[in-house]
Amino acid sequence: MSKRLRRWLILLGCLAVLAVLALIPGQAKQHFDVAKEFELKPIVKLPKIGPFDLSINKAVIYLWIATAVIVVLALIIARSLHRVPGRFQLAVESLYDLARNGIVGGSMKSQQATWFPYIGGVFFFVLINNIVGLIPLPFAEHHQLGFYAATANLYVTITLALFTFVFTHYAGLRKNGAHYFAAWAPQGAPPVLKQLIWGIHALSEFFRLVSLSMRLFANMMAGHAILAVFFAMALIFQSYLAAVVLQGGSVFIYLFEIFVAAIQAFIFAILSAVYIGGAVDQH
Amino acid sequence: MGTAAAKLLGAGLAIGLGAMGPGIGLGLFIGKALEAMARQPEASGEVRTNMFIGIGVTEAVALYAFVIALILIFVAK
Repeated sequence: MSKRLRRWLILLGCLAVLAVLALIPGQAKQHFDVAKEFELKPIVKLPKIGPFDLSINKAVIYLWIATAVIVVLALIIARSLHRVPGRFQLAVESLYDLARNGIVGGSMKSQQATWFPYIGGVFFFVLINNIVGLIPLPFAEHHQLGFYAATANLYVTITLALFTFVFTHYAGLRKNGAHYFAAWAPQGAPPVLKQLIWGIHALSEFFRLVSLSMRLFANMMAGHAILAVFFAMALIFQSYLAAVVLQGGSVFIYLFEIFVAAIQAFIFAILSAVYIGGAVDQH
Repeated sequence: MGTAAAKLLGAGLAIGLGAMGPGIGLGLFIGKALEAMARQPEASGEVRTNMFIGIGVTEAVALYAFVIALILIFVAK
């Protein structure tokens, strides 16, 4: 049997299996609510201090897991550095080089040593949090396996963006003094226009906080919502044919989510570096 | 029209109209990046890095619309 004929027969066989699957009657419709993936119920209730509720819920545990992963990986790499790197050491070294020379070196050459700890830390923290969010862990309701990322929570991303925001203005003030705020409006402009431009610049500086946090939050939340819908679509369509086809589609969207996780970590780090570099290197 | 139908309609309009701008913007932007990479292949590493930054910033705008649509469907009463 020639190769072409065999391939056609395999294709025909797959189509026949799918056609048979379409004829099997589906089961009863099961209820699936996407919003339940993002509900945070306290697991260990701790007292409230003022408006801050200290109880431990799913997001807190995921943050701890990501921190533990980072610490363990860093200890493993630091203890066993070979001169000829193995695969794992090569991967970590290339990430380190990307963070140091690509991200910090690309935007802030003058202050590379000062700001690399923060920017590198933010890059690795967001990267490991995004990737841990793609591992199914039993924290969904009724202790089922579910996906959740700590960065899919607006409070976590707003905290990270607040770090960048505070560091930007602190670094700018420390380097330039009170002239930092005055430099937001261009020198040779008529008075009313100068104040207007200053106001718009101040507003855009504040909006950077919103956009930095919202970008990471919305990417992660949207990704997890799409993942939840794809993986559970077999329950919504009541047929086995849809289940088989959609599980294949789920694999592709999962791969895309890994790509988005890495890209969002990179973008958060490089935008932080650009903002801090812009505040420090003000002419 | 009841509130439930109005919410769903609003969500559909939000993501539908909100994804038009970033879609066109991304297409223009990636096209220009490809042109630049074709003109000068030795700069393609730097062009690619800046292209990813631009993609991240532009796609955030589409995601704002998506978040509003999700809020309308799941959170608004």
